[in-house]
Amino acid sequence: MKINYRQLSILVFMSFIALKFLALPGLMYVDSANMSWLVTLVLMIVDGIYVFLILDLMKKCGQKNIFEFLCYCLGPVLARAFMAVLVVKYALVVANISKGLEFFVVENFYNDLKWLVFVLPLILLTNFMVYKGIRNIARVNEIIVWPVLFGCIYIALKSISGVDLFNFLPFFKDGVAPLFSSGFNHLSWFGSSGFMFMLFGKVDFSNGKKYTMLKYIFLAIALTMLMHVVFYGLFDVTSPTHSFCLSDISQFSSGHSSIDELSWLVVSLWVTAQAVQLALFSFCMMQAIKYTFNIKNDVFPILFVLIYIFTWSFIGENTVRLEVVFLSAFSSIITILVQYILPIIIYIGYAVNNVKRKKGAKCKS
Amino acid sequence: MLVDAEKLKLQIESKLHNSSDLKSRSVQFFGSNCVIMYIADITDNVLFNQTLIFPLMNFPLETDESKNKDKITLLKQKVLLNQEVIEYLTVDEAISGVLTGKTIILLDKANKILGCDLELITTRPVMEPPTSVVIKGPREGFNESIKNNLALIRKRVRTPDLVVQLMEIGELTKTQVGVVYFDSVADKSIVKEITKRLKAIKIDGVLDAHYLISYLQKKPKSLFKQIGDAEKPDILVGKMLEGRIGILVDGSPIVLTVPFVLIEDLQNSDDYYSQPIRVMLVRILRLLGVIMAVVLPGVYVALEIYHYKILPTEFLVTIMNTTQGIPFSPFVEILFLVVLFEILYEANLRMPQYFGMAMSIVGALILGETTVNAGLVSPPAVMIVALSGITFYIIPSQAAQFSVLRLCAVVIGACLGLYGMLIFCVFILSYLSSFDSYKTAYLAPTAPYIDNDQQDLFKRVNIKEMKKRPKSIANNKHNLTRRGREDDDEN
Repeated sequence: MKINYRQLSILVFMSFIALKFLALPGLMYVDSANMSWLVTLVLMIVDGIYVFLILDLMKKCGQKNIFEFLCYCLGPVLARAFMAVLVVKYALVVANISKGLEFFVVENFYNDLKWLVFVLPLILLTNFMVYKGIRNIARVNEIIVWPVLFGCIYIALKSISGVDLFNFLPFFKDGVAPLFSSGFNHLSWFGSSGFMFMLFGKVDFSNGKKYTMLKYIFLAIALTMLMHVVFYGLFDVTSPTHSFCLSDISQFSSGHSSIDELSWLVVSLWVTAQAVQLALFSFCMMQAIKYTFNIKNDVFPILFVLIYIFTWSFIGENTVRLEVVFLSAFSSIITILVQYILPIIIYIGYAVNNVKRKKGAKCKS
Repeated sequence: MLVDAEKLKLQIESKLHNSSDLKSRSVQFFGSNCVIMYIADITDNVLFNQTLIFPLMNFPLETDESKNKDKITLLKQKVLLNQEVIEYLTVDEAISGVLTGKTIILLDKANKILGCDLELITTRPVMEPPTSVVIKGPREGFNESIKNNLALIRKRVRTPDLVVQLMEIGELTKTQVGVVYFDSVADKSIVKEITKRLKAIKIDGVLDAHYLISYLQKKPKSLFKQIGDAEKPDILVGKMLEGRIGILVDGSPIVLTVPFVLIEDLQNSDDYYSQPIRVMLVRILRLLGVIMAVVLPGVYVALEIYHYKILPTEFLVTIMNTTQGIPFSPFVEILFLVVLFEILYEANLRMPQYFGMAMSIVGALILGETTVNAGLVSPPAVMIVALSGITFYIIPSQAAQFSVLRLCAVVIGACLGLYGMLIFCVFILSYLSSFDSYKTAYLAPTAPYIDNDQQDLFKRVNIKEMKKRPKSIANNKHNLTRRGREDDDEN
């Protein structure tokens, strides 16, 4: 069950924008004020570079899965340790998406929605998609990507006339230091391309066009920048009070309390995109659990992931925004480790291993 | 064999339980007794007299040539005027022949039985099928005779590349089933799998092509259609040119096609005879129609119950004014109308044609109007269900599935609201995305995206520019160019 290169590119595109249009712009403004857009831009570019790094590793690994490849490069002990860290990373992303989605749905669509009513359909859907595998998730992404993209552009362009570009001046009012702290504090919202680790050996590169990935990464960065610029341009210092970039922009554009005629459709589309993202990271979490504990079948890992989503929804119900506190304190470090350090370690391990093997082959001959 | 013709006749009559419609006639041929046996109702009388009785009776009693030849060869070569004369070596073979409309000739002490095809084909004339009506383009449709249907295909395809594989299915009905495909275009492994599946069928009788569907489907319990169909030869040949395989069943005017992709049903034969720009518009409308048919009532219920705050104020006021005083909840209101619509549809379908118009008037005007006037349902609800009901029939072959999905959508919309509807939609998408059969993805060429096949998805490029066969259909990968040769591409 392999996916093609285009499908991988779309998965990257969706995961790039998935967490960026909800609470992130508002939260970032607290640390980096009107330069938040620059932090996002730089971190997204770094993420983009790492996508190509991981892509190169994917091509090098051939038919091996990530665990086999890590065993080859770093040995089984380190491989298992890294798999455990990956489980934690995916668990954090799953928590972030599911809670973000819950807040988004409740705030935008319902006066009152019981957490159980929210989480049960989501668990059923996630279970089905994870069970069906990565090809299924990739195909659903392929269908919803264009409506989501055009929907977001529609919302941004509809509100662009209200954007005040002077909100972005002066540049670097408080120096460069807040940008670094902002970047570090919100790292967990970035590095979403970490899901690619679980696709090692599952991508068919044979018919891929050369610039497909670059095109989608560029599109993701451009769209995120457009949305963030519109958001900060509209709300300026009130940005931290706006929890949902996408729906708040559209409400602003309608000029009254209700979302305008078409924007609720876009907001709905966003919910579907988030649900699919949840399935993607749940799939990754399931795979990582399998490799970490050497479990052969899918049943128990899937069950674990579903219980995890359920529990998280229950905890979140009783502890408001727990995950934000939890994520910012802990997950930045995990993200740095998984997203930015792990690929380099694998690279080094791979190179060292190759040299060793060549030497071994020479000695034998 | 080498027994008397009369004895053989008795043997055959006994095996057919002295059936009343089994007729026989004895004549003399060179001093030997010759018995002709046939089933009267399925034998063409005119042909029987002209090609069999008349030459037999008028053959000179003895010639030089006849002295040197055995009687069976003489009959075959000099007497019988039929296109095809079959030789049966056993009585059972001859009986099978009689049952399929052959007339058999028994000769004293002969080691063979001869058979002639004098079958009387009783069938409807070639007409335009009611569910594939076109404004432009051919109007010929298949009828219930497999011979006739094969002739209609052959008329359009004059190439040795066309392969027809005939087989009999049904222990009692012995129904003729034909697998047709282009040898150089179809994927051989799929042809093999289909014939294997068909040959493995153990059933008493096959009365229609739909009997075979559950044997050919990869997921027989699924709600969704997995086997395509065609009621017109131009549609079937079009599909075969793309690599699909047709399955004809004697007694059915519907030809099954495999593999099937969902987008097939959004395409119409009319599309290929119209302007591409118009086709694009129509196809987008069809897709919107399908979405509306399934989700509109559910979304309406969800919006009315849970999400009235997201409706624009002016629209909300209009809805509130019209729904004021309705004793039922939006869910019950829509459910009532959906069920009413289904009942009307079923009644209308089975009713004699001349009652149909009266039924429409009773259903649409009297029932609809009076329920609104009585304040039982609101005008927007009637409008929503009517709109959904009409859009169902944009794709008539999928109406049954849509009907079930619509009902699910209404229940989910009422229970969970818009969020539930969205989860439902993603679930359906996900389910369909995982639906691969006969090496073909159900949602291709959208998921997976296939660049080449976008030429006939929403926009339809000019026929001249359609150079490659669709890659979404599993077909012969070595012959993807529609004109057969790569160098023709430049033309």
